[in-house]
Amino acid sequence: MTQDLTSMKPQRPSLYRLAADGRSLDFLFTQCPACHALSFPANAPGCMHCGHPTADAEQVARPGGGTLLEYVTLHVPLVPGMPAPSIAGDIRIAEQVVEEGVIAVDDESALQPGMTLRAVAVPLASGDSYGCAFVPAQEAAR
Amino acid sequence: MSSNTNSNWLDGNDGVYVAGIGLHPYQFPSDTPYTHLGLAAVRGALADAGLDWKQVQSAYVGTTSIGMAAGRVMFRHLGSTGLSVTQVENASASGSFAFRQACMEVAHGISDVVLAMGVDKHGDGRRAANKDGLERLSDTATIPAVKFALMARSYLRERGAGMESMAKVAVKNHANASRNPYAQFRKPRTLEQVLASPKVAGDLTVQQCCPRGEGAAATLLVSGRALKRLGLDPKRCVRVRASFANSERDETTYGQGPIDLVRSSAQAALEAAGIGATQLDLLELHDAFSVEELLYSEAVGVCAPGEGAAYLERGDSQIGGRCAINASGGLIGMGHPLGPTGIGQIAEITRQIRGEAEGRQHPNARWGMAHMIGLGSVAIAHVLSAAQA
Ligand SMILES: [Zn+2]
Repeated sequence: MTQDLTSMKPQRPSLYRLAADGRSLDFLFTQCPACHALSFPANAPGCMHCGHPTADAEQVARPGGGTLLEYVTLHVPLVPGMPAPSIAGDIRIAEQVVEEGVIAVDDESALQPGMTLRAVAVPLASGDSYGCAFVPAQEAAR
Repeated sequence: MSSNTNSNWLDGNDGVYVAGIGLHPYQFPSDTPYTHLGLAAVRGALADAGLDWKQVQSAYVGTTSIGMAAGRVMFRHLGSTGLSVTQVENASASGSFAFRQACMEVAHGISDVVLAMGVDKHGDGRRAANKDGLERLSDTATIPAVKFALMARSYLRERGAGMESMAKVAVKNHANASRNPYAQFRKPRTLEQVLASPKVAGDLTVQQCCPRGEGAAATLLVSGRALKRLGLDPKRCVRVRASFANSERDETTYGQGPIDLVRSSAQAALEAAGIGATQLDLLELHDAFSVEELLYSEAVGVCAPGEGAAYLERGDSQIGGRCAINASGGLIGMGHPLGPTGIGQIAEITRQIRGEAEGRQHPNARWGMAHMIGLGSVAIAHVLSAAQA
């Protein structure tokens, strides 16, 4: 179970990187120079709240996770190569920033709307990189 | 509350009328060239209107997956008359936006006889959202089935409703489609069958999702002036009373984005037409996934907020009910070939208002709305009525 993730690369480096604990993820946002709100992903060409250009905006890392708003089981592979069944949910990862994420639990009974999720690094089959999955915060703290 | 209908831009050129409709049945992907599909619809519309191709001054072609210059390649088989040809792409709403462009051209007096059509083959679904240079946390983040499965789950949770309440949308619409000779699905489905069909995402089963397909639909629009000059039968001409389009705003509450979009576009169109939602006899809407019909019947206002499932349950949305929703069979039953879908809605409303929807006629149909949304998200609403309404 213990795999050294620090030697692996993030599958999507524009979105996240490994946190200091070597297991959970930090998400990369951009902070708007005009309205100071966070946008995701950090390389979006405009603030998602006010439309201000973000080319020169500061990138900020925040612990990846948020509030689970809704979730469903995907019963069939909706894109090539995705495992089925799997669970997808909408997660509020910052104020007024909602993103769909993959939730790594065995079934929906472990979930309820409003619960806090943490983003963790998941080693990919290739062996040299990790992806992002959300797990209940208590489990992440285990 | 309602605006003065005399100030409606659609009253220009003595009004905009649908004078002819034609379809090629929607069907599963085949080897049939798109030109065959499209020409069947255009010839059907010409024959229906009693007009000749030479009289058509301009054409708008809604399509998503055929490629560049689909119109001219097809139209040359009708005779090279030199007409203006414009291709329109706006995802699911491509045909609806082609129709809106044709309305504008007629209302502004640029042309008096204009073709608005949609034709499509099933394509690879290439999307701009996959070319924006941005990565996403989930591979399914831009897939509508996931978005609507999440909305369905919230809808059922908030209303304490069971899965069968949205499955009944599919039962109604498959039944309507079984009576529509242009529909892709022609078999009624029982509630048990809809619920027992394989699950796709969340509580949505495959029979609650629109199929992949191809087809064509065409409408011929004429000005009120041309209607008289050409001696067309006003009883078979249906008047366009409102056309309104907009796109999504920031969500104020999670999951409300598409609902706010449908509400705002539908209400602006109703106001321009000078009627209330409950005066609609017909409503064709984007039921790509069953739950959408419940959400949007509330958003358009044919029923009260929270009453979508009850409205369906009471039979108010069936043919013969208070407002026949998706009398054509909708996207779930008639099919959703993208380019033609919005034009097919207009054709259905025209047929119903004329009283020519044999086998599925809604009694005393006078007012109808065609509502469509597209990826992205864009919305468009058209209100039509009998010429003398
Ligand atoms: Zn801003």
